[in-house]
Amino acid sequence: MKKEKKDNPLGALKDTLMGFMVHSHVTSLLKMKTYTEYLFMIMTMGDMLGMPLLPPYYSLRLLPYMVPNIKSWKLRMLRDRDVTDIVVG
Amino acid sequence: MKVGLKYLFERKPNVKVIIFAGKGGLGKTTCSAALSYLISNKLNKRVLCFSTDPQASLSDVFERDLFGKGEIPIANNLYVLEIDADKRIKEYVEGIRQKIRDMYKIEEIPQEVEDYIESTIAEPAMYESAVYDAMLEVVTQSKYDYYIFDMPPFGHGIRMIAMADLLSKWVDKITEARRQAYEYEAAAAAMKRQKVTEREDLMLNELEDIRNKIMSFRNLVVDPNGTAFLMVLTPEKMSILDTERAIKMFESLDLRVGGIVINQVYPPWILSDPKASEYLKKKVISQKPLLKEIVDKFKDLIVGLIPMYNREPKGLEMLSKVSSELWESSIDLESLIGK
Repeated sequence: MKKEKKDNPLGALKDTLMGFMVHSHVTSLLKMKTYTEYLFMIMTMGDMLGMPLLPPYYSLRLLPYMVPNIKSWKLRMLRDRDVTDIVVG
Repeated sequence: MKVGLKYLFERKPNVKVIIFAGKGGLGKTTCSAALSYLISNKLNKRVLCFSTDPQASLSDVFERDLFGKGEIPIANNLYVLEIDADKRIKEYVEGIRQKIRDMYKIEEIPQEVEDYIESTIAEPAMYESAVYDAMLEVVTQSKYDYYIFDMPPFGHGIRMIAMADLLSKWVDKITEARRQAYEYEAAAAAMKRQKVTEREDLMLNELEDIRNKIMSFRNLVVDPNGTAFLMVLTPEKMSILDTERAIKMFESLDLRVGGIVINQVYPPWILSDPKASEYLKKKVISQKPLLKEIVDKFKDLIVGLIPMYNREPKGLEMLSKVSSELWESSIDLESLIGK
Protein backbone atom coordinates (compact mmCIF):
# COMPACT_ATOMS: atom_id res chain seq x y z
CA MET A 1 0.00 0.00 0.00
CA LYS A 2 2.87 2.37 0.84
CA LYS A 3 4.38 1.85 -2.56
CA GLU A 4 1.08 2.74 -4.15
CA LYS A 5 0.98 6.05 -2.29
CA LYS A 6 4.45 7.06 -3.45
CA ASP A 7 3.67 6.25 -7.04
CA ASN A 8 0.36 7.99 -7.08
CA PRO A 9 0.37 11.55 -5.67
CA LEU A 10 -3.36 11.80 -6.17
CA GLY A 11 -3.90 8.74 -4.01
CA ALA A 12 -1.67 10.22 -1.31
CA LEU A 13 -3.67 13.43 -1.38
CA LYS A 14 -6.88 11.44 -1.14
CA ASP A 15 -5.54 9.58 1.88
CA THR A 16 -4.44 12.81 3.53
CA LEU A 17 -7.83 14.38 3.00
CA MET A 18 -9.50 11.25 4.36
CA GLY A 19 -7.16 11.47 7.32
CA PHE A 20 -8.24 15.06 8.04
CA MET A 21 -11.86 14.05 7.91
CA VAL A 22 -11.90 10.86 9.93
CA HIS A 23 -9.01 11.32 12.31
CA SER A 24 -11.08 12.70 15.17
CA HIS A 25 -13.76 10.08 14.60
CA VAL A 26 -11.21 7.31 14.69
CA THR A 27 -9.71 8.67 17.90
CA SER A 28 -13.02 8.95 19.65
CA LEU A 29 -14.12 5.52 18.48
CA LEU A 30 -10.90 4.00 19.74
CA LYS A 31 -11.38 5.82 23.03
CA MET A 32 -14.88 4.38 23.35
CA LYS A 33 -13.49 1.00 22.51
CA THR A 34 -10.90 1.29 25.28
CA TYR A 35 -13.57 2.33 27.80
CA THR A 36 -15.82 -0.59 27.00
CA GLU A 37 -12.77 -2.81 27.15
CA TYR A 38 -12.01 -1.47 30.64
CA LEU A 39 -15.61 -2.02 31.64
CA PHE A 40 -15.37 -5.57 30.45
CA MET A 41 -12.20 -6.08 32.43
CA ILE A 42 -13.79 -4.74 35.60
CA MET A 43 -16.61 -7.22 35.13
CA THR A 44 -14.36 -10.19 34.62
CA MET A 45 -11.16 -9.37 36.44
CA GLY A 46 -12.75 -7.20 39.11
CA ASP A 47 -11.07 -9.18 41.84
CA MET A 48 -7.78 -7.66 40.73
CA LEU A 49 -9.16 -4.42 42.10
CA GLY A 50 -10.91 -6.09 45.00
CA MET A 51 -14.25 -6.74 43.30
CA PRO A 52 -14.75 -10.49 43.21
CA LEU A 53 -17.15 -11.73 40.58
CA LEU A 54 -16.28 -14.72 38.46
CA PRO A 55 -14.82 -17.66 40.43
CA PRO A 56 -11.04 -17.21 40.04
CA TYR A 57 -10.71 -20.67 38.58
CA TYR A 58 -12.67 -19.47 35.56
CA SER A 59 -11.40 -15.91 35.33
CA LEU A 60 -7.94 -17.43 34.83
CA ARG A 61 -9.16 -18.81 31.53
CA LEU A 62 -9.83 -15.29 30.26
CA LEU A 63 -6.54 -13.94 31.53
CA PRO A 64 -4.44 -14.77 28.44
CA TYR A 65 -6.66 -12.59 26.25
CA MET A 66 -6.22 -9.59 28.48
CA VAL A 67 -2.50 -9.66 28.98
CA PRO A 68 -1.73 -6.66 26.72
CA ASN A 69 -4.27 -4.42 28.49
CA ILE A 70 -3.60 -5.24 32.11
CA LYS A 71 -0.86 -2.76 32.92
CA SER A 72 -2.55 0.33 31.47
CA TRP A 73 -5.92 -0.74 32.87
CA LYS A 74 -4.60 -1.14 36.40
CA LEU A 75 -2.84 2.21 36.22
CA ARG A 76 -5.97 3.91 35.00
CA MET A 77 -8.34 2.28 37.47
CA LEU A 78 -6.17 2.65 40.52
CA ARG A 79 -4.96 6.25 40.14
CA ASP A 80 -6.50 9.01 42.21
CA ARG A 81 -9.23 11.02 40.61
CA ASP A 82 -9.40 14.77 41.12
CA VAL A 83 -11.35 17.80 39.94
CA THR A 84 -9.53 17.97 36.62
CA ASP A 85 -10.78 14.48 35.82
CA ILE A 86 -14.34 15.66 36.11
CA VAL A 87 -13.67 18.82 34.12
CA VAL A 88 -11.62 17.14 31.41
CA GLY A 89 -13.55 13.90 31.46
CA MET B 1 -40.07 -48.55 60.64
CA LYS B 2 -37.43 -49.84 58.25
CA VAL B 3 -35.12 -47.41 56.58
CA GLY B 4 -32.63 -47.84 53.78
CA LEU B 5 -31.43 -46.46 50.50
CA LYS B 6 -33.44 -49.22 48.85
CA TYR B 7 -36.54 -47.15 49.49
CA LEU B 8 -34.89 -44.00 48.19
CA PHE B 9 -33.98 -45.78 44.94
CA GLU B 10 -37.55 -47.08 44.67
CA ARG B 11 -38.92 -43.60 45.20
CA LYS B 12 -36.50 -42.01 42.77
CA PRO B 13 -35.69 -44.57 40.07
CA ASN B 14 -33.90 -41.98 37.93
CA VAL B 15 -31.25 -41.14 40.48
CA LYS B 16 -27.84 -41.56 38.90
CA VAL B 17 -25.73 -39.25 41.03
CA ILE B 18 -25.44 -39.54 44.78
CA ILE B 19 -23.58 -36.89 46.70
CA PHE B 20 -22.53 -37.41 50.30
CA ALA B 21 -21.98 -34.12 52.03
CA GLY B 22 -21.39 -32.89 55.53
CA LYS B 23 -18.57 -32.43 57.98
CA GLY B 24 -15.50 -34.58 58.09
CA GLY B 25 -15.19 -37.65 60.30
CA LEU B 26 -18.85 -38.69 60.33
CA GLY B 27 -18.57 -41.46 57.76
CA LYS B 28 -19.08 -39.81 54.39
CA THR B 29 -16.27 -41.77 52.84
CA THR B 30 -17.44 -45.07 54.33
CA CYS B 31 -20.97 -44.44 53.05
CA SER B 32 -19.72 -43.50 49.59
CA ALA B 33 -17.53 -46.56 49.38
CA ALA B 34 -20.23 -48.88 50.74
CA LEU B 35 -22.91 -47.56 48.41
CA SER B 36 -20.58 -47.83 45.41
CA TYR B 37 -19.80 -51.39 46.37
CA LEU B 38 -23.49 -52.16 46.70
CA ILE B 39 -24.46 -50.67 43.33
CA SER B 40 -21.68 -52.54 41.56
CA ASN B 41 -22.34 -55.78 43.40
CA LYS B 42 -26.06 -55.93 44.07
CA LEU B 43 -27.49 -53.82 41.26
CA ASN B 44 -24.77 -54.98 38.87
CA LYS B 45 -24.22 -51.50 37.47
CA ARG B 46 -21.05 -49.68 36.55
CA VAL B 47 -20.29 -47.18 39.24
CA LEU B 48 -17.64 -44.57 39.87
CA CYS B 49 -16.80 -43.65 43.44
CA PHE B 50 -15.26 -40.19 43.43
CA SER B 51 -13.38 -38.47 46.20
CA THR B 52 -11.26 -35.37 46.45
CA ASP B 53 -10.15 -35.74 50.00
CA PRO B 54 -6.52 -34.65 50.26
CA GLN B 55 -6.14 -37.15 53.08
CA ALA B 56 -6.80 -39.98 50.65
CA SER B 57 -9.64 -41.50 52.70
CA LEU B 58 -10.86 -43.74 49.90
CA SER B 59 -7.40 -45.24 49.71
CA ASP B 60 -7.79 -46.08 53.41
CA VAL B 61 -11.23 -47.58 53.04
CA PHE B 62 -10.37 -49.68 50.01
CA GLU B 63 -6.94 -50.43 51.48
CA ARG B 64 -5.18 -49.46 48.26
CA ASP B 65 -3.19 -46.44 47.15
CA LEU B 66 -5.55 -44.65 44.78
CA PHE B 67 -4.68 -41.03 45.35
CA GLY B 68 -4.13 -39.09 42.12
CA LYS B 69 -3.89 -42.29 40.11
CA GLY B 70 -6.99 -41.89 37.90
CA GLU B 71 -9.97 -44.22 37.61
CA ILE B 72 -8.93 -47.52 39.17
CA PRO B 73 -11.03 -50.71 38.95
CA ILE B 74 -11.46 -52.19 42.43
CA ALA B 75 -13.98 -54.94 41.84
CA ASN B 76 -16.36 -55.95 39.09
CA ASN B 77 -18.17 -52.78 37.87
CA LEU B 78 -16.63 -50.74 40.66
CA TYR B 79 -14.20 -47.93 39.82
CA VAL B 80 -12.63 -45.49 42.20
CA LEU B 81 -11.29 -42.04 41.41
CA GLU B 82 -9.48 -40.12 44.10
CA ILE B 83 -8.32 -36.90 42.51
CA ASP B 84 -5.34 -34.90 43.61
CA ALA B 85 -6.93 -31.45 43.39
CA ASP B 86 -3.70 -29.60 44.14
CA LYS B 87 -1.95 -31.33 41.28
CA ARG B 88 -4.91 -30.58 39.03
CA ILE B 89 -4.76 -26.88 39.91
CA LYS B 90 -1.03 -26.82 39.22
CA GLU B 91 -1.49 -28.35 35.79
CA TYR B 92 -4.41 -26.08 35.01
CA VAL B 93 -2.48 -22.95 35.94
CA GLU B 94 0.57 -24.10 34.02
CA GLY B 95 -1.70 -24.53 31.00
CA ILE B 96 -2.81 -20.89 31.35
CA ARG B 97 0.80 -19.73 31.61
CA GLN B 98 1.75 -21.70 28.52
CA LYS B 99 -1.17 -20.21 26.63
CA ILE B 100 0.04 -16.71 27.47
CA ARG B 101 3.58 -17.59 26.36
CA ASP B 102 2.32 -19.04 23.10
CA MET B 103 -0.14 -16.26 22.36
CA TYR B 104 2.36 -13.46 22.76
CA LYS B 105 5.52 -15.37 21.91
CA ILE B 106 7.16 -14.41 25.18
CA GLU B 107 9.47 -16.36 27.46
CA GLU B 108 8.52 -14.71 30.69
CA ILE B 109 5.06 -13.91 32.00
CA PRO B 110 4.74 -10.17 32.81
CA GLN B 111 5.04 -9.53 36.55
CA GLU B 112 1.54 -8.09 37.06
CA VAL B 113 0.04 -11.09 35.29
CA GLU B 114 2.13 -13.53 37.29
CA ASP B 115 1.08 -11.75 40.51
CA TYR B 116 -2.54 -12.26 39.59
CA ILE B 117 -2.03 -15.93 38.81
CA GLU B 118 -0.26 -16.45 42.13
CA SER B 119 -3.06 -14.75 44.05
CA THR B 120 -5.74 -16.90 42.45
CA ILE B 121 -3.85 -20.08 43.32
CA ALA B 122 -3.93 -19.01 46.96
CA GLU B 123 -7.74 -18.58 46.89
CA PRO B 124 -9.46 -21.32 48.90
CA ALA B 125 -12.35 -21.35 46.41
CA MET B 126 -9.84 -22.38 43.76
CA TYR B 127 -9.62 -25.85 45.28
CA GLU B 128 -13.38 -26.24 45.34
CA SER B 129 -13.81 -25.00 41.79
CA ALA B 130 -11.20 -27.48 40.59
CA VAL B 131 -13.09 -30.27 42.37
CA TYR B 132 -16.43 -29.25 40.87
CA ASP B 133 -14.82 -29.02 37.47
CA ALA B 134 -13.50 -32.56 37.86
CA MET B 135 -16.94 -33.78 39.01
CA LEU B 136 -18.60 -32.23 36.01
CA GLU B 137 -15.98 -33.72 33.74
CA VAL B 138 -16.55 -37.32 34.87
CA VAL B 139 -20.33 -37.00 34.75
CA THR B 140 -20.26 -35.40 31.29
CA GLN B 141 -18.14 -38.26 29.97
CA SER B 142 -21.01 -40.56 31.08
CA LYS B 143 -18.93 -43.71 31.15
CA TYR B 144 -20.75 -45.04 34.22
CA ASP B 145 -24.31 -45.84 35.25
CA TYR B 146 -23.92 -44.31 38.69
CA TYR B 147 -21.69 -41.67 40.25
CA ILE B 148 -21.09 -41.51 43.97
CA PHE B 149 -19.41 -38.35 45.22
CA ASP B 150 -17.67 -38.07 48.54
CA MET B 151 -17.68 -34.29 48.82
CA PRO B 152 -15.19 -32.29 50.84
CA PRO B 153 -16.78 -29.99 53.42
CA PHE B 154 -18.23 -27.06 51.53
CA GLY B 155 -16.75 -23.60 51.69
CA HIS B 156 -17.35 -20.44 49.73
CA GLY B 157 -17.05 -22.18 46.40
CA ILE B 158 -20.43 -23.89 46.67
CA ARG B 159 -22.07 -20.48 46.57
CA MET B 160 -21.22 -20.59 42.90
CA ILE B 161 -24.41 -22.59 42.39
CA ALA B 162 -26.52 -19.82 43.89
CA MET B 163 -24.75 -17.45 41.56
CA ALA B 164 -25.35 -19.55 38.47
CA ASP B 165 -28.37 -17.60 37.23
CA LEU B 166 -26.75 -14.33 38.11
CA LEU B 167 -23.59 -15.38 36.32
CA SER B 168 -25.55 -16.42 33.29
CA LYS B 169 -27.23 -13.03 32.98
CA TRP B 170 -23.92 -11.40 33.64
CA VAL B 171 -22.30 -13.32 30.80
CA ASP B 172 -25.04 -11.97 28.54
CA LYS B 173 -24.14 -8.44 29.61
CA ILE B 174 -20.45 -9.07 29.07
CA THR B 175 -21.13 -10.49 25.67
CA GLU B 176 -22.99 -7.29 24.89
CA ALA B 177 -20.07 -5.17 26.14
CA ARG B 178 -17.67 -7.28 24.14
CA ARG B 179 -19.74 -6.91 21.01
CA GLN B 180 -19.82 -3.16 21.46
CA ALA B 181 -16.08 -2.93 21.89
CA TYR B 182 -15.71 -5.06 18.81
CA GLU B 183 -18.01 -2.77 16.81
CA TYR B 184 -16.06 0.33 17.79
CA GLU B 185 -12.85 -1.36 16.84
CA ALA B 186 -14.31 -2.58 13.56
CA ALA B 187 -15.62 0.90 12.71
CA ALA B 188 -12.27 2.50 13.54
CA ALA B 189 -10.48 -0.18 11.54
CA ALA B 190 -12.74 0.36 8.57
CA MET B 191 -11.99 4.07 8.58
CA LYS B 192 -8.30 3.36 8.79
CA ARG B 193 -8.82 0.68 6.15
CA GLN B 194 -7.36 -2.02 8.36
CA LYS B 195 -8.50 -5.45 9.45
CA VAL B 196 -9.67 -6.29 13.00
CA THR B 197 -8.14 -9.08 15.03
CA GLU B 198 -9.97 -12.34 15.60
CA ARG B 199 -9.17 -12.53 19.28
CA GLU B 200 -12.56 -11.17 20.30
CA ASP B 201 -14.45 -14.23 19.17
CA LEU B 202 -12.16 -16.64 20.97
CA MET B 203 -12.75 -14.80 24.19
CA LEU B 204 -16.51 -14.86 23.78
CA ASN B 205 -16.36 -18.57 23.14
CA GLU B 206 -14.36 -19.01 26.30
CA LEU B 207 -16.95 -17.03 28.28
CA GLU B 208 -19.78 -19.03 26.80
CA ASP B 209 -18.02 -22.22 27.82
CA ILE B 210 -17.50 -20.98 31.37
CA ARG B 211 -21.17 -20.10 31.61
CA ASN B 212 -22.17 -23.55 30.39
CA LYS B 213 -19.88 -25.21 32.90
CA ILE B 214 -21.26 -23.26 35.85
CA MET B 215 -24.85 -23.83 34.77
CA SER B 216 -24.29 -27.54 34.17
CA PHE B 217 -22.71 -27.95 37.58
CA ARG B 218 -25.63 -26.19 39.21
CA ASN B 219 -28.12 -28.32 37.29
CA LEU B 220 -26.23 -31.46 38.18
CA VAL B 221 -26.21 -30.73 41.91
CA VAL B 222 -29.75 -29.42 42.30
CA ASP B 223 -31.51 -31.83 39.93
CA PRO B 224 -34.16 -33.42 42.22
CA ASN B 225 -34.75 -36.43 39.96
CA GLY B 226 -31.29 -37.40 38.84
CA THR B 227 -29.32 -36.45 41.92
CA ALA B 228 -29.68 -37.40 45.58
CA PHE B 229 -27.90 -35.05 47.90
CA LEU B 230 -27.38 -36.91 51.16
CA MET B 231 -25.93 -35.95 54.51
CA VAL B 232 -24.36 -38.20 57.09
CA LEU B 233 -24.73 -37.55 60.80
CA THR B 234 -24.04 -39.36 64.06
CA PRO B 235 -26.25 -39.42 67.17
CA GLU B 236 -24.40 -36.59 68.85
CA LYS B 237 -25.70 -33.17 69.79
CA MET B 238 -23.08 -31.29 67.80
CA SER B 239 -23.65 -33.38 64.71
CA ILE B 240 -27.42 -32.80 64.88
CA LEU B 241 -27.00 -29.03 65.20
CA ASP B 242 -24.47 -28.93 62.37
CA THR B 243 -26.79 -30.87 60.10
CA GLU B 244 -29.67 -28.53 60.87
CA ARG B 245 -27.53 -25.54 60.04
CA ALA B 246 -26.20 -27.15 56.87
CA ILE B 247 -29.70 -27.97 55.63
CA LYS B 248 -30.66 -24.32 56.05
CA MET B 249 -27.51 -23.20 54.26
CA PHE B 250 -28.15 -25.57 51.36
CA GLU B 251 -31.76 -24.44 51.14
CA SER B 252 -30.62 -20.88 50.72
CA LEU B 253 -28.70 -22.13 47.69
CA ASP B 254 -31.80 -23.90 46.33
CA LEU B 255 -30.17 -27.17 47.14
CA ARG B 256 -32.60 -29.64 48.64
CA VAL B 257 -31.15 -32.29 50.93
CA GLY B 258 -32.54 -35.59 49.69
CA GLY B 259 -31.84 -37.68 52.75
CA ILE B 260 -29.94 -38.21 55.96
CA VAL B 261 -27.97 -41.29 56.94
CA ILE B 262 -27.51 -41.88 60.66
CA ASN B 263 -24.14 -43.47 61.28
CA GLN B 264 -22.55 -45.07 64.33
CA VAL B 265 -25.76 -46.16 66.01
CA TYR B 266 -25.32 -48.58 68.95
CA PRO B 267 -27.72 -51.44 68.24
CA PRO B 268 -30.55 -51.82 70.82
CA TRP B 269 -30.01 -55.56 71.31
CA ILE B 270 -26.94 -54.71 73.39
CA LEU B 271 -29.33 -53.88 76.23
CA SER B 272 -30.71 -57.40 76.39
CA ASP B 273 -27.36 -59.10 75.89
CA PRO B 274 -26.21 -60.50 79.25
CA LYS B 275 -22.59 -60.51 78.06
CA ALA B 276 -22.58 -56.82 77.07
CA SER B 277 -20.70 -54.48 79.37
CA GLU B 278 -22.32 -51.79 81.46
CA TYR B 279 -20.29 -49.24 79.54
CA LEU B 280 -21.84 -50.28 76.24
CA LYS B 281 -25.32 -50.40 77.73
CA LYS B 282 -24.90 -46.86 78.99
CA LYS B 283 -23.89 -45.82 75.48
CA VAL B 284 -27.10 -47.29 74.05
CA ILE B 285 -29.20 -45.53 76.67
CA SER B 286 -27.47 -42.18 76.18
CA GLN B 287 -28.04 -42.35 72.43
CA LYS B 288 -31.77 -42.83 72.80
CA PRO B 289 -32.81 -39.19 73.39
CA LEU B 290 -30.46 -38.04 70.66
CA LEU B 291 -31.92 -40.50 68.18
CA LYS B 292 -35.35 -39.31 69.21
CA GLU B 293 -34.30 -35.77 68.51
CA ILE B 294 -33.00 -36.81 65.08
CA VAL B 295 -36.29 -38.53 64.26
CA ASP B 296 -38.29 -35.53 65.47
CA LYS B 297 -36.25 -33.08 63.48
CA PHE B 298 -35.53 -34.95 60.27
CA LYS B 299 -38.13 -37.74 60.23
CA ASP B 300 -38.95 -37.90 56.53
CA LEU B 301 -35.40 -37.26 55.53
CA ILE B 302 -33.91 -40.32 57.22
CA VAL B 303 -32.87 -42.76 54.52
CA GLY B 304 -30.25 -44.88 56.22
CA LEU B 305 -29.12 -46.29 59.52
CA ILE B 306 -25.69 -47.80 60.07
CA PRO B 307 -24.76 -49.52 63.32
CA MET B 308 -21.57 -48.92 65.25
CA TYR B 309 -19.10 -51.67 64.44
CA ASN B 310 -16.56 -53.14 66.76
CA ARG B 311 -13.88 -52.43 64.20
CA GLU B 312 -13.23 -49.85 61.53
CA PRO B 313 -15.19 -50.49 58.32
CA LYS B 314 -12.29 -51.10 55.96
CA GLY B 315 -11.76 -53.50 53.10
CA LEU B 316 -14.32 -55.02 50.77
CA GLU B 317 -15.63 -57.54 53.30
CA MET B 318 -16.50 -54.91 55.90
CA LEU B 319 -17.83 -52.61 53.16
CA SER B 320 -20.17 -55.33 52.06
CA LYS B 321 -21.55 -55.46 55.62
CA VAL B 322 -22.00 -51.71 55.77
CA SER B 323 -23.55 -51.66 52.33
CA SER B 324 -26.29 -54.15 53.20
CA GLU B 325 -27.13 -52.04 56.26
CA LEU B 326 -27.19 -48.95 54.08
CA TRP B 327 -29.47 -50.69 51.58
CA GLU B 328 -31.90 -51.84 54.25
CA SER B 329 -31.12 -51.35 57.89
CA SER B 330 -31.32 -54.35 60.21
CA ILE B 331 -32.19 -52.04 63.08
CA ASP B 332 -35.73 -50.83 63.31
CA LEU B 333 -35.82 -47.08 63.79
CA GLU B 334 -38.88 -47.24 66.06
CA SER B 335 -37.26 -49.82 68.33
CA LEU B 336 -34.38 -47.39 68.86
CA ILE B 337 -36.51 -44.60 70.17
CA GLY B 338 -39.45 -46.61 71.50
CA LYS B 339 -40.18 -46.66 75.20
